[in-house]
Amino acid sequence: MTRIGAVAVNTFREAVRDRVLYNLVFFALVMMAAAILVGQISIDIEQIVIVTLGLSAISIIGLLIAVFIGVGLVSKEMDKRTLYALLAKPLRRWEFLSGKFAGLVFTLTVNTAAMAAALFLALYYVKHSLGHADIAVLVAVYFVLLKLALVVALAMLFSCFTTPLLAILFTAGLYVAGLFVHELRGLQAEGIGPGPAAMLRWLSYLLPNFENFDVMGAAAHGRAIPSALIAENTVYAALYCAIVLIVAAAVFSRRNLK
Amino acid sequence: MNSAARYLSLALVVPLGFAGVWRLQKYIDAQQAAVQIEDDQVILRSSKLVKALSLEYAPLVADIYWTRVAQYFGNKHAGHDPDLRLLWPLLDVSTTLDPSLMPAYHFGGTFLSDAPPRGAGRPDLAVQLVERGIRANPNEWRLYYDLGFVYYFDAKDYPKAAAAFLEGSKNPDAFVWMKVMAAKIASEGESPETSLFLWQDIYNTTKDAAVKQNALTHLQLLRAVKDCKQIDALSDEYQRRVGRRPKNIGELVQAGLLHGVPVDALGYAYTLDEDGKAELNVESPLLEKQLMVMPKK
Repeated sequence: MTRIGAVAVNTFREAVRDRVLYNLVFFALVMMAAAILVGQISIDIEQIVIVTLGLSAISIIGLLIAVFIGVGLVSKEMDKRTLYALLAKPLRRWEFLSGKFAGLVFTLTVNTAAMAAALFLALYYVKHSLGHADIAVLVAVYFVLLKLALVVALAMLFSCFTTPLLAILFTAGLYVAGLFVHELRGLQAEGIGPGPAAMLRWLSYLLPNFENFDVMGAAAHGRAIPSALIAENTVYAALYCAIVLIVAAAVFSRRNLK
Repeated sequence: MNSAARYLSLALVVPLGFAGVWRLQKYIDAQQAAVQIEDDQVILRSSKLVKALSLEYAPLVADIYWTRVAQYFGNKHAGHDPDLRLLWPLLDVSTTLDPSLMPAYHFGGTFLSDAPPRGAGRPDLAVQLVERGIRANPNEWRLYYDLGFVYYFDAKDYPKAAAAFLEGSKNPDAFVWMKVMAAKIASEGESPETSLFLWQDIYNTTKDAAVKQNALTHLQLLRAVKDCKQIDALSDEYQRRVGRRPKNIGELVQAGLLHGVPVDALGYAYTLDEDGKAELNVESPLLEKQLMVMPKK
């Protein structure tokens, strides 16, 4: 556990050194501009715009970091040949992967928390108060973080057996497919035949269901999000991440690094 | 070429270059305008496609579309263009992307149904939009109010208007008067008092400037109708006393039936037509609005 922690801390330090957190300045500027302009360009939806814009920005910035840095976590270490020095130490390959995953998820957590704080500041500026209904926004931010953790795990899995470019494409492809799981499940057998329909239905349960984490609409309109959904999504993300990381560790352990 | 000459030529070339860019942009803008209109019509009508392309950011895209609705409507009114054909597809996409976008239902209910040039003149689409809102948000009693409003004023379907008000009144948060309104419309159909009450409520409660202005115009016109009826009643009295209809309102003042020449909400004096009936002054901007909203049969 100490070894995983050491890798995680160094991954976070590396991200800070690489100026990953500079995106926060961009986010802060977007939220400030939105808070000031929103009253002039929208009718009766100032609060909704702030919440949807803020959550979308948190999600998009987080996804960019999760995919591009997630893919580079393993490949960069191999390219720079620093991985060989690391693995020569008493550090198992799965520990290296777990540490890298934990480090990037921690970076994303810090990043997302800072962006959420900026979002709430903008919301306060527009509404002049914060209420119980705004807890839904906090839950939506948490769901974005769960989604990002899943994306990091997938990016790491692909980067373990393919080139960075292909890993980015696979991760992005799987992410988009995971947003249409409901449609896959709803495809009627009349159109494509019972066999493919059953296969797609089966596939829809295997794909990471990113629709689970989409509560932006509810958060924007201040609708309460059931605590059961929060618990289920947490377990879903943890379980799916664990499966992906186990597969990634298995692939990485067999990989010839010579 | 020495450095001074280089700077001089640079000082000439850069502004000239930007002047060329500025000129070229004008031509590009003209070309783009034609392309954009075509794009709007192709893309905006497919709400399912837009939703699929929005991925999980549909609520944000809905806000952008809603802002586009406001811009589209504002530009059309500013340009006195009565063609509001894109209002329905824009509202359709906005509410498909975010089924809880209440301002879109309230605005759409008013301006899809209102007669041209103020609205799109499509009460059928307004009903479709508001009913979609009710399906997605059954606890929003205001949507039943919007539905009743469309049926009452534009579709002129009083039983359905009464049914909508009655359904909405079942919500514990609804205005108490909605049940009374349902009974009144069911028994009387359209009446000036009901119309005045409904438009006054819209005027008092809406945050949308366009909806507020529309309600104000209707209130001013309803007041003009009421004033004209009262002047006509005084003209009848004048006829009983003098044996003929008054030729102008001044005669009613001279006869002591009026203390002064009455004016409409914009300050223009009412006049009498050749039959001695009161009407809005031809100079009054309200007359044009009256002809649009309440055309003479």
